[in-house]
Amino acid sequence: MTPVTEKPVSKPTLGNITVIGGCGFLGHHIVNLLHDSYDCKISVIDLFTTRNRRPDSDGVAYYDGDITLTSSLTKIFQKCKPDIVIHTASPTLIGANDALYYKVNVEGTKTVIEACKQCGVKGLVYTSSASVISDTVSDLVNADERWPVIPSSKQIEYYSTTKAEAESAVLAANRSPTLLTLSLRPAGIFGPGDVQLLPPIMKLVPDNKTGFQLGENTNLFDFTYVGNVAHAHCLAARALLATARMSIVPLDHERVDGEAFFITNDSPVPFWDFARAIFKAAGEKRGTEHVWVIGSDVGLILGGVLEWVMWAVGRPSKLTRRQVRYSCMTRYYSCAKAKERLGYAPIVGLDEGIKLGVGAVLEQQQSEREKKSQ
Amino acid sequence: MGLLGQLLYLSVHPNQLRAIIQWKTWHDPVHIRNPSKETPTLRDCFKYLDLTSRSFSAVIQELNPELLVPVALFYLILRGLDTIEDDMTIPLEKKEPYLRNFQNIIEEDGWTFNGNGSNEKDRELLVHFDCVITEFHKIKPVYKDIIKDITEKMGNGMADYANNSEFNINGVDSVKDYELYCHYVAGLVGDGLTRLFVDSKLANPALLQRPELAESMGQFLQKTNIIRDIREDFDDKRRFWPKEIWSKHVDKFEDLFEPQNLEAALNCSSEMVLNSLRHADECLFYLAGIKDQSVFNFTAIPQSMAIATLELVFRNPQIFKKNVKITKGDACDLMTKSSQNLRIVCDVFKTYARRINKRNTPKDPNFLEISIACAKVETFIESIFPSQDPKQMAVAYKAEGQPTGKMPKSESGHHAWMLLFAVLCTLLLISGLMTGIAHLLGAHFGVASTEMGKGNFPPQYTSEANDAQHILHQHDHQDL
Repeated sequence: MTPVTEKPVSKPTLGNITVIGGCGFLGHHIVNLLHDSYDCKISVIDLFTTRNRRPDSDGVAYYDGDITLTSSLTKIFQKCKPDIVIHTASPTLIGANDALYYKVNVEGTKTVIEACKQCGVKGLVYTSSASVISDTVSDLVNADERWPVIPSSKQIEYYSTTKAEAESAVLAANRSPTLLTLSLRPAGIFGPGDVQLLPPIMKLVPDNKTGFQLGENTNLFDFTYVGNVAHAHCLAARALLATARMSIVPLDHERVDGEAFFITNDSPVPFWDFARAIFKAAGEKRGTEHVWVIGSDVGLILGGVLEWVMWAVGRPSKLTRRQVRYSCMTRYYSCAKAKERLGYAPIVGLDEGIKLGVGAVLEQQQSEREKKSQ
Repeated sequence: MGLLGQLLYLSVHPNQLRAIIQWKTWHDPVHIRNPSKETPTLRDCFKYLDLTSRSFSAVIQELNPELLVPVALFYLILRGLDTIEDDMTIPLEKKEPYLRNFQNIIEEDGWTFNGNGSNEKDRELLVHFDCVITEFHKIKPVYKDIIKDITEKMGNGMADYANNSEFNINGVDSVKDYELYCHYVAGLVGDGLTRLFVDSKLANPALLQRPELAESMGQFLQKTNIIRDIREDFDDKRRFWPKEIWSKHVDKFEDLFEPQNLEAALNCSSEMVLNSLRHADECLFYLAGIKDQSVFNFTAIPQSMAIATLELVFRNPQIFKKNVKITKGDACDLMTKSSQNLRIVCDVFKTYARRINKRNTPKDPNFLEISIACAKVETFIESIFPSQDPKQMAVAYKAEGQPTGKMPKSESGHHAWMLLFAVLCTLLLISGLMTGIAHLLGAHFGVASTEMGKGNFPPQYTSEANDAQHILHQHDHQDL
């Protein structure tokens, strides 16, 4: 009997691809997907390349680098000669100061653009944020790319201001002269490795605080599984390469370069339903019979009072007006443009995504506990 | 519920009573059938239509004259076919040829059938089926062909199921089988009706390019009825809930009806509701393709009833004990709302989808999927009737330009309070004057205060609003 040789499945080729922030939450999911499903040579640039690192045998090249330094970046680019650069690096939404946001998001991104131009990169995929069209107060109902970016004077969230400014620089650099750029705007990313969205919601279960609901819970909200966002990045890289091979500029309604795209799970749900699905995955056995509904107005007042009181005591408030606003706001987007032009469709459903994400966080917490007890 | 019960119920549910009165007094049919110009056989056909269908007869009779008779005959023919299929007293070898040849039988002048068991409720229709055949010969050949084609497909589908002993003993197995069954008994009707609507130019021909929309119209109605009728069908020894779904929740189908398995049974029923709910957005999409008001009413009314029924059966323990039904008042309210325009029907869908989601519980294995399906109804409506205008937003940001400090904001706030105060003063003055004049003219305010004491506040008159909406919709509808 002749041994059955594994059929080589032809994977799409992406050439040399460099992921900036490839050890971060989203970045390492992109690296994993590129490694598993594409034929390409992957390199990663990150501030620290020790976390979320693939084994050396996988052939991914890791470079410690600082994107706020042009010289550091071009040196690495000259080594890995990227056809496509995917730029995901950014401080997290909560916990960094304004100066750092500006330095990394705006200056860092401008440095990346400059380095791409100098090194003859064909395409730059930028990870923006769906928050660039949110003023944090007004509802966004089935918003698409026609919605205006919030001008900096109206943007309360400084993170979003810097993401918007960086995105505008990226899109302005399109075809200058040969670099092609596009921007992806994911909405509410969660999944394995997530530190912002899942852990605080999951913590309410052991703290026995799942019995509250702010607002009526009819407000639909978009949450996007990280694997789907990674998928969109790979599709975007492919689309930019395809455009680079074309001798003519594509028609307006099918072009991808110079464009922004919302990326969602295409399944918005009422805000508290998402939270309850997480509670459930994290071990909550009860339904909604123990839940107290607090109206959004009352919630805002409570949040305001608590913020002041806790400020006076010198502790962070457990309930803030910002949390109340977010949990009572309608915020969902249409990802139709990404579907049409990038061929995007979510590959992991919301429910499955929650199970994967919560499972990963629980596992990590377990291993941390074991380390402590040793 | 007897008449007395009805009256008692309505006396404590004024909203229900109002909806019934509103429908009876203000409903204005788009077309009214004229029996005096009809042949005796056609009048007989309508008599049997009344006898065989409680819900469809009225809406069919208000249809555009072009389609009135074809649709009525289409209904009677399929009802005739169904009456043969349903009758368990007819042996299979006798039944099968009728089912497979019904499209030819309806061409035979004078054909009647008295082989139905005496308990068969629609027996009379087949005993006098010659009147249907006589009228069928008179309609336009294009309509005849469509009706014959659907009759043939449905009859063969029914015969296949009648022959399928597995189905007869154990009921429906997979979800795929379940949907195929619904296709034969309802999806095909959607297909046939759509062809009639398009051929008579009363619907957008694009509907024929999207056959899945018409299919969803039928599936949504049929699946919802199957969920509602679980108890009745079980008592008749029929099982339409697919094993693929119920086996996830209980070991044996009978277990669904055991009180100790209620939680599992409810989870099972909610998975069935989820399966049906997924058609809701396509049903609205289909309705957007209807051009004629009478056809719109004809298609929209059953769909609104279905979404309301779906909400009624969702996690409702009663369905395993008895046949539940939406109240007459709710039915009238739904008919009023569904004989206007797409926007109002969309609001009905949105309201009921939100009610379903409100009763959704995280304990349900399909909690998030149900939440997604309910939201999908809303997001689809948003895609056809957007509530936000990006152009206006962009203009607003440009016009405002750079902020000039907080002054203008607080000033405008101040103005708003002044305005509110002035309005309140004016209102108080006017109402004071009116009360005074009324008192001088001999009005008794005691009546009003007792009514308020009963909680009847504000008094609920909406006939005028309804009138206004009716005028509005007639304009509105032309844009569809």
